[in-house]
Amino acid sequence: MKPARNLSVAFILIAAGCLLLVGLAQWSDSGIGVGGVFAGHTKSGILVLVSRLIGAMGVIWLGWFALNLAAAIMSIAAQLQPDNEHHSKASPNVAQTFTIRAFRFGSVINKLTAAISGRLSAYSDRIADLETQIEHLQIQIQLSKSQKRNIEAIIYSIRDAVIVTDESGRLLMANEAAGRLFGFDYRDSQHKPVADLVGESKREFADLLSRVAQTKGKVKRRQIDFLEAEKPKSFDCIISCVHDGNEQVCGVVAVLHDVTREKEIAQMKNDFVSHVSHELKTPLASITAYAEMLCEGEAQDEQTRKEFYSVIHDQADRLNRLIEDILNVSRIESGLIKVEKKPVSLTMLMQEQLRMIKGYAEEKNIEVISQKPIVFDRVAVDKDMMSQVIVNLLSNAIKYTPSGGSVRIESEVDELARVARVRVTDTGVGIPEDEIERVFDKFYRVQANKNQAKGTGLGLNLVKQIVEKVHSGRVFVTSKPGVGSTFGFELPLATAEALETV
Amino acid sequence: MTGKKVLVVDDEIHIVHVVAVKLRNNGYEVLTAANGAEAYTLTCDEKPDIIVTDYQMPLMTGLQLVQKIRENDAISDIPVILLTARSFAIEDDQRRNLRISECLSKPFSPKELLRGIEDVLYRQTVTQS
Repeated sequence: MKPARNLSVAFILIAAGCLLLVGLAQWSDSGIGVGGVFAGHTKSGILVLVSRLIGAMGVIWLGWFALNLAAAIMSIAAQLQPDNEHHSKASPNVAQTFTIRAFRFGSVINKLTAAISGRLSAYSDRIADLETQIEHLQIQIQLSKSQKRNIEAIIYSIRDAVIVTDESGRLLMANEAAGRLFGFDYRDSQHKPVADLVGESKREFADLLSRVAQTKGKVKRRQIDFLEAEKPKSFDCIISCVHDGNEQVCGVVAVLHDVTREKEIAQMKNDFVSHVSHELKTPLASITAYAEMLCEGEAQDEQTRKEFYSVIHDQADRLNRLIEDILNVSRIESGLIKVEKKPVSLTMLMQEQLRMIKGYAEEKNIEVISQKPIVFDRVAVDKDMMSQVIVNLLSNAIKYTPSGGSVRIESEVDELARVARVRVTDTGVGIPEDEIERVFDKFYRVQANKNQAKGTGLGLNLVKQIVEKVHSGRVFVTSKPGVGSTFGFELPLATAEALETV
Repeated sequence: MTGKKVLVVDDEIHIVHVVAVKLRNNGYEVLTAANGAEAYTLTCDEKPDIIVTDYQMPLMTGLQLVQKIRENDAISDIPVILLTARSFAIEDDQRRNLRISECLSKPFSPKELLRGIEDVLYRQTVTQS
């Protein structure tokens, strides 16, 4: 196009130049002196003719060019106004253009202008609409993103492990707990097959997920055990299907709740119940056996009969004490006992219990030593419970100390540790090192000392529950077999406010 | 059966005593032990005709005691009756493996225990003849 255009431009310029020359020549002929310079050159007739020819050709070419231009504009107008009945073809016929359009050229220009303006305003309206739509869509996108973030945040913050997969077992979403439990990056594992993410050791879980997807809708609940960070744990796993709008299964969601602690507690309860039943059956076995012997006449003399009655009596007593202790311990453990904490002087409690135990100590010829009372040890405690603690420790000390020995009770206030401390030391049989950890366990009785004295095995457990669970204190024990033991407890000192509310 | 030696093992002194009285009243010779170790030694030394033992004992349970006895050829044929206060029963295959003749639960009847002992000893003499 360019060389042709350049050629056209050059031709136009040459033609224009010739016209100018012709004009000037004419002018000089008519006597006006300005064109005198050219007069000599344009005297030749041929030159004038050639110039006039080129000029005419130039005019004709210009005209042609103008007409083409008009035709092009026409066709544009036609394209913009498809309802114009005169334009069915895009390219104009020259004759048509010249003869018909020439007269209508003016109105067509007007129509063209109107059409173009109309189009432009229509387009600009359209653009404005689209811009508004884009704005709305952007707002929608932001909203959706923020909703997605909210939902993710909710799921991520759930402490139970949550895993969502599609219907073919590929991960869609998982929270931090799930990532930690199964050992994968919860933010970065989208679309990976869950079976690969959870690993071979947790294959059972992956299989469960795919089974639920296949059964389309039946919720599965299973207890699954596996290792989390080397520790064995139990999980209550509930798996359900995710349904899309058309009730079709489009995914599976699994929630794993850690029930390790609950399981432990249930096991402990079970153990306790069977332990208790065993403990209760033991004195009962003696009672029934001796009672039967008496009924069958197997006690052949008065002495034996007396002996048997006495055993029945003692064992019934033992059974009763056992039941009382078990109930006490259970009630304290389950928090059912009403606790009334008041500021009390420990020394005063100690004095009270010492008075009560005096008889028992004298019977066994055991010296009981107590220190000079401390005037000011301030603890907020339940009086009855603390009395029970002190009497248990004192009676144990006397029980397991052979005749001629001694038992010492003392208390102190440790300002630094903010505790009041009580210690009961005896010169008794002591406790072997391998058993000392267990003396506070329910029903535990030191093997070597079992036949030394009667005991339910619950006394120390009761002490521990009262001191630690009810009063937030601490029990402790040290012992040396053959030398003696020291049992003690610490209680937090009462605050000034507690003391004021008497 | 008169003259037969019975070893009674239980860490509860009253139980041992009441069984001993019952058996002695019925013509048995009674040996007693308060724990598994003592019982094993007595079994090796005295070779009782039958052993009556508690299940739940510290340091060595009744089952462990029986296991030990069955492993010793010299005394492995002695029949055993097990007493237990535990709510669960001893499993059948355990009973069979250790060849425990009878299991009685506590509280038990001394009369029934006597009958049990007599049955076991009778069966023993029958199989031996």
